[in-house]
This record gives sequence, structure tokens and C-alpha cells, in this order.
Amino acid sequence: MVTIAFKDLAISTAAKRGMPHERICFTPHPIWGKSDEQMYAYLEGNDPVTGKPLMPEVIAALTSPLTADEQKTGTVTPSVGPPTFVETYDNLQKYYMNNGMTDFMPIIIPTKEKVEAMLKGTSHDPEELIGELTPARGSFPAWKFTVRHVAINAVMAGAEPEYLPIILAIAASLLPSLSSSTNSFATAAVINGPLRDKLNMNYGIGAMGPFNQVNASVGRAWTLFSKNCGNCGQPGETYMGTQGNAVNFGNIIIAENEKDSPWTPFHVQKGFKKEENIVSVFFGYGIAQGQGGLGSAIKPVPQFDQGLLYNFIPLTSIFGALAVLDPLVAQDLVALGYDTKEKLTDWLQKNATLTVKDAKTMLFTGGAALRGPQAAGLKDDDLIPHWPNTSLINVVVIGGQTNPYYQVANMSYSRSVSIDKWM
Amino acid sequence: MKINRRKLLSLLGASPAILAGSAAAQGRKTKASPEATGAKFEGLNPHGMPPAIQLVSMAPRLASLDGKTIYLISDGFPGADHFLDQIAIWFKKNLPSVTTQYRLKKGGFADEDPALWAEIKDKGNAVIMAIGH
Repeated sequence: MVTIAFKDLAISTAAKRGMPHERICFTPHPIWGKSDEQMYAYLEGNDPVTGKPLMPEVIAALTSPLTADEQKTGTVTPSVGPPTFVETYDNLQKYYMNNGMTDFMPIIIPTKEKVEAMLKGTSHDPEELIGELTPARGSFPAWKFTVRHVAINAVMAGAEPEYLPIILAIAASLLPSLSSSTNSFATAAVINGPLRDKLNMNYGIGAMGPFNQVNASVGRAWTLFSKNCGNCGQPGETYMGTQGNAVNFGNIIIAENEKDSPWTPFHVQKGFKKEENIVSVFFGYGIAQGQGGLGSAIKPVPQFDQGLLYNFIPLTSIFGALAVLDPLVAQDLVALGYDTKEKLTDWLQKNATLTVKDAKTMLFTGGAALRGPQAAGLKDDDLIPHWPNTSLINVVVIGGQTNPYYQVANMSYSRSVSIDKWM
Repeated sequence: MKINRRKLLSLLGASPAILAGSAAAQGRKTKASPEATGAKFEGLNPHGMPPAIQLVSMAPRLASLDGKTIYLISDGFPGADHFLDQIAIWFKKNLPSVTTQYRLKKGGFADEDPALWAEIKDKGNAVIMAIGH
């Protein structure tokens, strides 16, 4: 039994798992938050899809003999359509868009010539299997994809061949930019290493905005290959984000400003050499401005550590925190005594606390502190850490130093992947 | 001194595009783009490779539910347990010969629970599973 909001998802999932005729009965939506009386009324009412009385339908589903189709076995290979599409330029734009292959903005048509040119951006065999992508591991069948598939999507996104290794590395992380969840999640990629300067990536003014072809097309390619290579982002079927997330168009692409940062670059913190080109991917709810909010005017000097705490406390602890600081903020924090990122994250982890009472009001937070045997003795006024350890709090530096501002993302570090490997 | 007309126009706040007017006035021909001529293009399919689907024959149906045991399984989504309670109440009222057994499936929403499946095969006759919000 499934609520009607998930009708398409339930039917397609059953089909993809081998039961295209699975007997599914539907209820009104939602169940969550309804009283017992309201739920019982659903049972006494009709299936909103068939219009038939629900419980007699459930009984029939359990007792009506199987049809020939319901007893079929064997293997079915789903089709993704022909290998190429031939049409006029305008009709091709509409075809790609109307068949769910774009982000609903015009693309660069991926002709054979353009894809072959793109593939010159890597030494890897175009038919090399990169891995499997899925909107949610374990819930949807994973699709395999190759270097060529990513190159096609990179062309569509407007990338140049020299950007392809970054896009391939993000693809190799196997983190799609579009999760199936009703939460409307976001993804971020932090790029480190000398390639940022070689490609003139933007890590100054407007670094996370639409002001640079590399930053923009790498982020856009991530969404396009997630849709096309992993079958992600099909609304109602593999994408259930109830409101969507504005960053999904281009994702949060952060080329760290290693030159103006007083601290160790992010990839070096993760054990890589400074001269390596690395992309590190993050997943969570997204990013928000820190300046101007609670704690942003604490004096005598801007107390950015205190300001960050105010921003951290409302965050859910099912994800970590990523502080994205302009170099001016980083420099001020060094002046306060945080001469390493680790000193700052240690302080933040110890001081980002909330009362048990407040933690209980948060739908997904509390984490390990509110579960397990130790939780039995906790009182409502007791303080618990927002995050149990510092590995869940990360810091990167980016920006053009026009003002000491920062942003905070409620996102967890997932993994780091070598870009050099894909050159 | 060679004057950069484009730069001069930009400094004056005028678009260098007006220079195109002078080119047209001199009768220079411009070539129509292939996109505008209706020429056909061949674009590659950007999709990855979905896995093959193994069709699974559904479990045989019961002739009737009289005297049978139905397992009511929650996959853990909030509210599913209360909803299945109401189904148990419905069966008590309307088909009292049916026995219901409520269970919460272990693990995440899409995880298998082999121990539960084995229990159902051993002791149950049918399953109603609540999935979603």
C-alpha cells in the first residue's frame, strides 16, 4: 500500500525490480501526521487512483487468481532510445528537452565531432566503465556509464575538453547531484590544486556564482550526467524533492582560494599533496548566507567564531557543517588565534551545543547523543554537542575580499577523487 | 594614431554592435548559420546503461482470507505503524477470522530483512506492506 503521491514511483520501481504488474493499492496522501480516525477513514474510503473501495480492493489483491502476465519470468532489457537523434537544430533542442535529457535550458548539441573533440581532454578509453549511478543506492537500479557518456553530457553542458578531467572525477565519485529524496538535497564540489589556475577557475569575486565558464559548465555537467547516466531527476519517479533546490542547476562549485587563504588547503587536510588536483564532494541541504544574521555583529572585532556558532546551531546534525569563508574572514580568525583550520573546527565542535529540549524539537537532529544508553539519563536542560566529532565540520576559503562575509552549508563531506587520474 | 573604434564606443556607453551597420552599408555579405538554414544535425544519446530486469513471478493468491494470517509490515516511514494498526482494527471488525501480525522491517527503507521474510514464509499466508509517507 502506497500513498498516491508516490504512485508513479511505486509502479516504476516495481517494474524495474521485475514485477510490472505488482498489485499496489493507494491511499490519500499523507499518512504522516494524520489521526487514527483520519487513517481509518482512508480505509473506509476509496483508492484515489481506481476510485474503488479501498479495503475490498486490498482483499481482491490478495485473493484474485494471478493473470498470465503476472506469472511471467525471463529477462527484459530496457531501451534508452536510439544511439543518435537526427533533426534540425531547433527540433533537436526541443527533442532533448522534451525527453528529459536537459536542465530545461538550451544545450550544446552533442554531435559526434564535438564529442570526439571533448574526449581529447582525457587519455582514458572512451568505452572505459566509470561506475554505476543511482538516485538512491539500494532503492533504484543503478545505471552503468562510461567515459563517453560523461563526455556527451559535458558537451551538452558547454564545457571545454580541458575541463573534462574535473567532470570525470566528479562522475567517479558516484555521487549524483540529484537525489531521489523528498528533501530536495544539494551537492557541492571543492576543487583544489594547480589546475584551478591553469584553467582560470574563479575563486575570487562571485566565485560560486555564474561568472566563469569552467565553474559553471562543470557544475551543469554534474546535473546533466546525473540525469542521463544515472536516471536521476525524473520528477515523480526518481526525483521526489517536494520543493526542489535552486542549486541543482549548477551545484555548488568551490575552487578553493588557496593563494589568499592563511590555512592548509582542503585537499591537503585530507592527505593529498598540495600539487595534486583533487575534487572533494559534499551532500546535504544546501548553503545559506552567514552575514547579517544572529551573531554577525558581535564586537569588539568581528567575532567570526561566535558568528559561525549562531549559524551552526539551527542546522540539522544528520549532515555536517561546511563553513565557506572569504579570505578576510579567515585572516580575522587567524588574528583571534585560530592559526589552523583544525583549531577552529575543534572549537566549533566543542561549543556548538544545544539543550536536549531544543534537540528534541528538531526532526532529524540529536544524533547519537539522543540515542543509546547514555540518553536515558539526559535531562531537558542538559547541553549536548551538535556534532559528535570534528570530522563532520569542514572549512574552505573562497572569495574576492570585497567584504568579510561567509556562508554556511549544512552538508557532509563524502569523498575526494583525483582529477589527475582522469587527465 | 589608430583608433580602436570598438573600445571607443564602449567607453561612450554605446554598443560596438552598431559597427555592424557600417559593414552592411558597405555591402558585405554575411553567411546564414547552419542552425538557421534547416540543416539536419545528428546528436548523440547521452543516456547511460540501465540494468536488465529479471521478471519475477508473483506469489500465488489465496482462495480466501478466512482463518489466514496476514503480516502487516512497516518499512519505517513515519506514520506507517499507526496506519497498519488501523488496518488490524479494520480486519478485527470486518473479517474477524483473519489474524494480523505487525512487524517493523529492519534496516533502511529499501533494505532486505531475510529473517522477517523467513518468518512470514513459515508462519504467514499473506503480506500487506506500507511504503511511503
